[in-house]
Amino acid sequence: MEQNSDVHVVAPEMAVSFFRSILPFNGLDDATLHDIARHCRVDFYPKGTRLFTVGETEITHLYLIQRGGVKAFIEDEQGVVTLKDFRGEGDYIGALGIIRGTLANLNIETVEDTFCFLLPREIFLNLVEQQSSFAHYYLKSFSEKVVATAYNELRYHKVSKRSGDDLYLFSVRVGDLVKKLRKVASDRSIQEAAAAMAEYRVGSLLVHDPEDEENVVGIITDRDLRGKVVAAGLDYQLPVKTIMTGPVQTVLSQALCFDVLLKMMATSIHHLAVERGGKIIGVVTSHDIMLLQGHSPYYLFKEIRGQQTISGLYILAQRIPEVIRGLIREGAKAGNITQMIAILNDHILERMLSLLEDELGSPPLAYCWLLMGSEGRREQTFKTDQDNAILYADPENEDQKEKAEAYFKVFAGKAIDHLVKCGYPLCPGEIMATNPKWCQPLSVWKSYFSTWINAPDPEELLNATIFFDFRSGFGDAGLARELRTYLNAQARQKDIFLFHLARQCMATRIPLSFFKNFIVNRDGEHKNQLDIKHQGLTPFVNFARVLALKFGISETNTLARLKALYDAEFINRELWASANDAYELQMQQRLIHQLSQMEKGGMPDNHINPEQLTDLEKRMLKDAFTVIERLYSVLDKMYPVA
Amino acid sequence: MMNLLNPGSWFGHPAPLLQANKKCFINFDQRRPLGEYTFVVCDTELTGLNKKKDELISIGAVMVRDLQIDLSSMFHCFIRPMNMDPTQATLVHRITPEQLETAEPLSEVLPRFVEYIHGSLLVGHHLPLDMHFLNKATRLVMGGTLSNPGVDTMRMAQGYKRVRLGHYHEHNPRTTSYTLDDLGREYRLPEFKPHDALEDALQTAYLFLYFIKKFRKGGLITLKDIFQSGRVGSFRY
Repeated sequence: MEQNSDVHVVAPEMAVSFFRSILPFNGLDDATLHDIARHCRVDFYPKGTRLFTVGETEITHLYLIQRGGVKAFIEDEQGVVTLKDFRGEGDYIGALGIIRGTLANLNIETVEDTFCFLLPREIFLNLVEQQSSFAHYYLKSFSEKVVATAYNELRYHKVSKRSGDDLYLFSVRVGDLVKKLRKVASDRSIQEAAAAMAEYRVGSLLVHDPEDEENVVGIITDRDLRGKVVAAGLDYQLPVKTIMTGPVQTVLSQALCFDVLLKMMATSIHHLAVERGGKIIGVVTSHDIMLLQGHSPYYLFKEIRGQQTISGLYILAQRIPEVIRGLIREGAKAGNITQMIAILNDHILERMLSLLEDELGSPPLAYCWLLMGSEGRREQTFKTDQDNAILYADPENEDQKEKAEAYFKVFAGKAIDHLVKCGYPLCPGEIMATNPKWCQPLSVWKSYFSTWINAPDPEELLNATIFFDFRSGFGDAGLARELRTYLNAQARQKDIFLFHLARQCMATRIPLSFFKNFIVNRDGEHKNQLDIKHQGLTPFVNFARVLALKFGISETNTLARLKALYDAEFINRELWASANDAYELQMQQRLIHQLSQMEKGGMPDNHINPEQLTDLEKRMLKDAFTVIERLYSVLDKMYPVA
Repeated sequence: MMNLLNPGSWFGHPAPLLQANKKCFINFDQRRPLGEYTFVVCDTELTGLNKKKDELISIGAVMVRDLQIDLSSMFHCFIRPMNMDPTQATLVHRITPEQLETAEPLSEVLPRFVEYIHGSLLVGHHLPLDMHFLNKATRLVMGGTLSNPGVDTMRMAQGYKRVRLGHYHEHNPRTTSYTLDDLGREYRLPEFKPHDALEDALQTAYLFLYFIKKFRKGGLITLKDIFQSGRVGSFRY
């Protein structure tokens, strides 16, 4: 019959527009879509219909949900049902079974009246073979391509366009910026070196061993000539090795400019030697990288460093979102962005506290400004509440004690006030240096941790978790290190304490039901939103914290903790990789969500409306949530209830 | 024009296609499970609703096999009306006068449709109206009428509501609408392009699938069960 002209060669518009709206079909041309649509069947399954049964159902078609939704679950011999997933409109069922040629590996049942398009298995397999996007989409839940697509989608659809699109921090590698290598032997005179710099018109020279030209031992810069030679009246005939800085800090030539910039900002070293294949090929300077872009984090960084008044910092702190926004546009990943935010915030804090010290006079005792919670983990987004404390050296006598208490009370009061004016809101839980409880000498801090660890009160512990993520923000980092060492020694293998932490972690339910509600949400009545921070990210943070404490890992950043756990083989590669991706993707989603709120003039929050997510974003989030289940099962094995 | 009317064939000698189709249903067994029948869900577009004067201008149909809509075998065509009023066609339907002028005449199109529905049950929304015009057309150009049993989705909807709401005695409550669009919204069917015979047929097919599977889940296994439960169909139109 199909040969007849009126047996239509054009697929119904309804079917084609459906395929056009879903991944990865939306990448296909119209002719292919029409062809695919014409090979489909449509079926209807009333609510409660079983579609697949594990190990029994042979999968003859790819099911694409047009209306309704299904749940995926497994059932053990005792009949205990574990829910694995909910899938709604635009989602698929059966792809892996078809690709692998296996029977169904999940039970599938409709939770709504459901209409599906059924694409014959052979046609689907052809698509997977011929369209690389199909293989990528269906084969790996977190294949790089999908991740990249997701990030692109986030960047281009959620962040509004602005000029200055042509930024290069994330595409240019430092190897491409390196200028011709200029060197001088370390036994040459300062004057000879300066003459060479003038001749080559460069601001720095690498210094090499006179015996071995390949052996770079240091670097001299314009600044050295100015500060160490001219200003100090040094003899120009001395060898350059007397003023050089060595050994020289290096970066790999394939490093991205962004990473190099981070390194420069974190270390305050502005000239780095670039290494390729074990050989130094040249120098890259902060100036070289700055030239790449206008709205650079580096300009802001320099302005913060050069600021002479505290009130001048207020306005600079407000410019951080603008810089971050540029980074997101350029395609920075969440891990990089939060690092950059942390560095910029740290510099604001550092500059502000140094100026405050100038104003109030030197502190009577060495102290360390501690950062807690997300600041401690270097995971702030925009406008994170202040979570800070002061840790000072133990006073030797009563007089010192009184002086310290008086000084730090005033110091903390002013500091917190300035931070508020910089745009960092007060902590509603009063975890701030102004709270006398959190402005204490080392011995008291040790006793706090000792109590939390050795006699844990679950209620109190719940509020104390953020203290375990402390790090030094300014001042004597040695004090923070000592506290960390003490904490690690106390916490390791303290099973009751870790048990409570682990159980608290697992108390956060996996937000899969978010998607269930999303499926049944028909007309936007249920304003069902996802709290991406508490439901999505916190489980990862908690998991990493429990294991870091258990195994004595000092890192506080969640991604760094996960990496350290993997490096020490406490978690396997697969789990590390999925957790890393899932966490970073959610961070990204959160950042972009907040950025777009701020651009609309609102206050940033963590509530994501599912209706604003694309299919791909939903899918990625869902994949991320399933990772939480795996984290929990690791914790559950370590700290079983019974 | 004369061959269109073909008077020789419409007195007692229906066209062979119609005879063959009729044979399929002589010993028609209603007691087989629903999945064993083939259904053709169809929709017609007309020049108007006057049963005497108006004619078919478009037929759209989709096949339901194994209780699934088979998008690979659809039927869609325009028909050049014998009395054409060019202003009328565009009013309701998205059919342009050009499309109708270049369309084939009924005598060409209809036999292909009869071949397409050979041996299948017909399904339509308010099917009697479609059947009236289809039978009028087959009598005209093929000398006989269609023997295919039919199922009316509008009657199915009424039956389904009666069963669900328990209103066995209250026939056709006037408060509810039974138009295709309203039913589609009520049962959350996907949206379709309106006033296109093929899209309307497809929308009817979704509705048909919805009801028949709901009925089946309720224990109505054979075609006879369906016919009896809601008096949703008929053997002759």
